[in-house]
Amino acid sequence: MNECIDTEIREILPDLVHGSLDGETKRRVEAHLAACDSCTEDLRVLRAVKGAAVFAPAINVDSIVRQIPPYRMTVPGVDQRKRTRMVSWLVAAGFALAVVGGGSVVMSNQSRSTATVASAVTPAPSSQAPVGSATPDSMVAMPGYAQVVVTSGSTPTLALASSADLSSLSDDDLVQLMDDMGNFDALPAAEPEPVIAVDTGESL
Amino acid sequence: MTPGPETRHDETDMELIKHWKAGDSRAATRLVGRHSQALARFAASAGERDGIDELVQDTFVRAFASIDSFRGESSLRTWLFTIERRLMLDRRRAEKRSRQTVPVQESDQVSEYGALDGLIAEEAQERVRRSLEALSPTQREVFTLRVQQGLSYKEIAEVVGSTEGAARVHYHNAIQTVKEFLKDE
Repeated sequence: MNECIDTEIREILPDLVHGSLDGETKRRVEAHLAACDSCTEDLRVLRAVKGAAVFAPAINVDSIVRQIPPYRMTVPGVDQRKRTRMVSWLVAAGFALAVVGGGSVVMSNQSRSTATVASAVTPAPSSQAPVGSATPDSMVAMPGYAQVVVTSGSTPTLALASSADLSSLSDDDLVQLMDDMGNFDALPAAEPEPVIAVDTGESL
Repeated sequence: MTPGPETRHDETDMELIKHWKAGDSRAATRLVGRHSQALARFAASAGERDGIDELVQDTFVRAFASIDSFRGESSLRTWLFTIERRLMLDRRRAEKRSRQTVPVQESDQVSEYGALDGLIAEEAQERVRRSLEALSPTQREVFTLRVQQGLSYKEIAEVVGSTEGAARVHYHNAIQTVKEFLKDE
């Protein structure tokens, strides 16, 4: 027997079994059934399945009602899970800002340059010091994270700065910063020479 | 709780919820009485065997505790099925799927369908039950919700966490499998 191609009729046959079709739809379905062996067979199967006993225990209603807690109004629109998720996001965002914006680094000026950095550091090689660095031994601290800008000099000098937020920078520093940011995209294609070995120690 | 106005038999679920919030405990009794057996049958058809009454109780306790999150966009029964389904999944995860389940099995307690048993030959019933066992869990869920509970495809999608289109596909595949099974038997 070929399956009926009228998907709509096939999908609403359970509604016929449950008696939930409106008058016109019911007449249309019954007219279809009169001419369709496949749907007639489907209907027979559906009636058998609906009629098959699903053995389930009798439920003690009063026992359940006794367990129901009294009504307490909740804040509309914000259920507990949403609230918990929002709080988790806020905490994560606050932590990220604290780490990125508040990390401080230890300055070291040694020939064997090692440094322990409390937060993530991006070293920049001396030969590729950002254009616009004002003077040798100058350094620019990128707001938001500790940026190592290697200073020039006969011995490698590690210049680290504690990262600071924008509000603590002077006008001149801000101008310098904006100039330096403009050169950020001009990174060398080659792997920069390692200038300092930075032991970052812990991860964020 | 202070009893409220007399609840009428033709009150809708939303009206009964409103009465319960106002302090009428009889409204809760009406709601539980109206939906508890359907929840029990759904659990049984989904393969639960033990602790169905506890499962139904947990469903209602959770539902009433968060009744304000029920917006009435779907039927209350659909919402209850969704809660119960999540509880069944949590239960199975907790037991690491080592619990014994059978798709459909006679329980020792009184069945609501006791009167109907006489109308259908026991052997035919057994064949139908075995045909449902041949379905995948999702197909069985969709098929029994559609055929035994009469839920719409949209409501089924809400209960099982899928789309209406997927629910229709599962239904089509399920009835094909059941038909083939019954034809071969």
